[in-house]
Amino acid sequence: MDMLDLSLAELHQALVEKKTTPLELTKEAIARAKANSDNAFEYINEEGALAFAATLTEPEADNPLWGIPYVAKDNFSTKGIPTTASSNILNGYVPVFDATVIQKLKDAKAVMIAKATMDELAMGGTGTTGHLGITYNPYDPSHQHEIGGSSCGSAVSVADGIVPFALGSDTGDSVRKPASFAGLVGTKPTWGRISRYGLFPFAPSLDHVGYFTRDVYSAAVLLDVLAGRDENDSTSSTRPVEKYESKMNEPIAGKKIAVIQEIYDSLADETLLKAFNHSLDVLKEQGAIIDFVSMDSTLLESLYPTYMVISCAEATSNDANLDGIKFGPYRGGKTYQEVMFNARNEGFSELIKRRFVIGSYCLMRENQEELFLRAQRNRAKIVESVNAILKDHDAIYLAAAPSVAPRFDQSSDRLSDEYLMADNHLCLGNFAGLPSITLPLGFENGLPLGVNFMTGAFQETLLFQLAAAFERASGLAELSVRNPKEGNL
Amino acid sequence: MKTITKEVLQDAANRLLFTMSDEQYDTLMGEFKILTKQMAIIGEIPDLGNYEPMTFPFDCTTSYLREDVPVAPLTREEALKNAGNKQDGQIKLPKVVG
Repeated sequence: MDMLDLSLAELHQALVEKKTTPLELTKEAIARAKANSDNAFEYINEEGALAFAATLTEPEADNPLWGIPYVAKDNFSTKGIPTTASSNILNGYVPVFDATVIQKLKDAKAVMIAKATMDELAMGGTGTTGHLGITYNPYDPSHQHEIGGSSCGSAVSVADGIVPFALGSDTGDSVRKPASFAGLVGTKPTWGRISRYGLFPFAPSLDHVGYFTRDVYSAAVLLDVLAGRDENDSTSSTRPVEKYESKMNEPIAGKKIAVIQEIYDSLADETLLKAFNHSLDVLKEQGAIIDFVSMDSTLLESLYPTYMVISCAEATSNDANLDGIKFGPYRGGKTYQEVMFNARNEGFSELIKRRFVIGSYCLMRENQEELFLRAQRNRAKIVESVNAILKDHDAIYLAAAPSVAPRFDQSSDRLSDEYLMADNHLCLGNFAGLPSITLPLGFENGLPLGVNFMTGAFQETLLFQLAAAFERASGLAELSVRNPKEGNL
Repeated sequence: MKTITKEVLQDAANRLLFTMSDEQYDTLMGEFKILTKQMAIIGEIPDLGNYEPMTFPFDCTTSYLREDVPVAPLTREEALKNAGNKQDGQIKLPKVVG
């Protein structure tokens, strides 16, 4: 076990006691990134990271991120560093400003060692659609299983022990689903809690900044740093930032936790069900009150189509600026329309084109009421139902995905309840903007399984309290490929 | 609602300023077959007329006057960094008029 395999808290202590230095850690993280064979990186920031780390010589005892190496998904604007969102339409683009979260981490003197691969423009959930090809799950050296997406490279970075944390973005489940497939803690706070200035938009009414860590404590202290009002993002919240780790050691006795019966019933994987049921018993032993609650099954089956309609429609509009003139390589043409055609034809992959056409179809005048506006009305009804559950409960607790990471050649019945509910319910947190965290539960054939907690808006401190109690029971804090564990559940 | 035909999808792609191959349209038509069934589920949900379309998870009203603080703009070099074709400190464009 090397320094980089320590927890964030231990690593901080080692830095403060000068048992290691930011430069040593950065060198080791870059070496691990280069040795990784899962196609996790768009760009390794070797020169910049080493130069910055070399300036960090006086440890800051009260700054838990001082000198800590990290990775950012390639849809965060990074000044002077190529940023493509894994799309050919942005090849060669070098931003002239830092996203607010990148600036905040720079101010905290964390060291960004690389930009991570992702599903193209964040529009995908498999980690297979980026312009550099498939990103693999480090738990399967034979490269037959997905890691999920769209934040695939970020998930690899943390699961393979390259860095203690990585930034991602989450529009439907793009942090929390890959976290489940990679045995990680994946956090998406309340919509508006973290500024999105400099995050390339996919569907702004659903987009969140999220991140991967290997324990709940790291997730909480990261939010301490990343949260807060930003006048560059008018949707960022003015609510005061809390000490999100402050209740992590408090007991959860008396907390009311809801399990949505219909989603639970749609699970078919026996290993997952056994481990999930065991986790319910363990939560009860800690004094939590578990309630199985009902939510309209048709409403739950409508989650995925509602997400598709809204997200594709918003993306179609947002990405109109990727046209070879404002953004994207110039590929010639006699008229400006031809310039745009040429740039977009060559810049977008087939999947992205299909998603844009779906969005455009939903926005056509004849279809708008029946598709787009109806989906938005349905979103309101879904959110009302979720908030009704949370009115009487502290959290909703569910399996994060219906199984371990699927194989690349595996396809699911996209009209089944298992697909429509168990595989896609995490978007509830995006529809309602609620804080949500995925945690490792156990393993099946060596691949991780995960669970998810979701609380009311701006109740992140409660979320981390529940997550920490779960983590103590699971015994899976600090899990990585380099630090294997069996867990207790 | 418009019936989904290859022509309708071609019209959408044309408005989006890209083209797709026949094979890609076939894949998309297949995708729409499933998506239409999934979208029909939303149509089964009663009383949606009672709900306003939700555009954001919750209200976030921003209303303030920014202080008039001077800031340094991008330098010319920074502003031109991503321009593919430049000359004499300016972005060079192809002639499109006349």
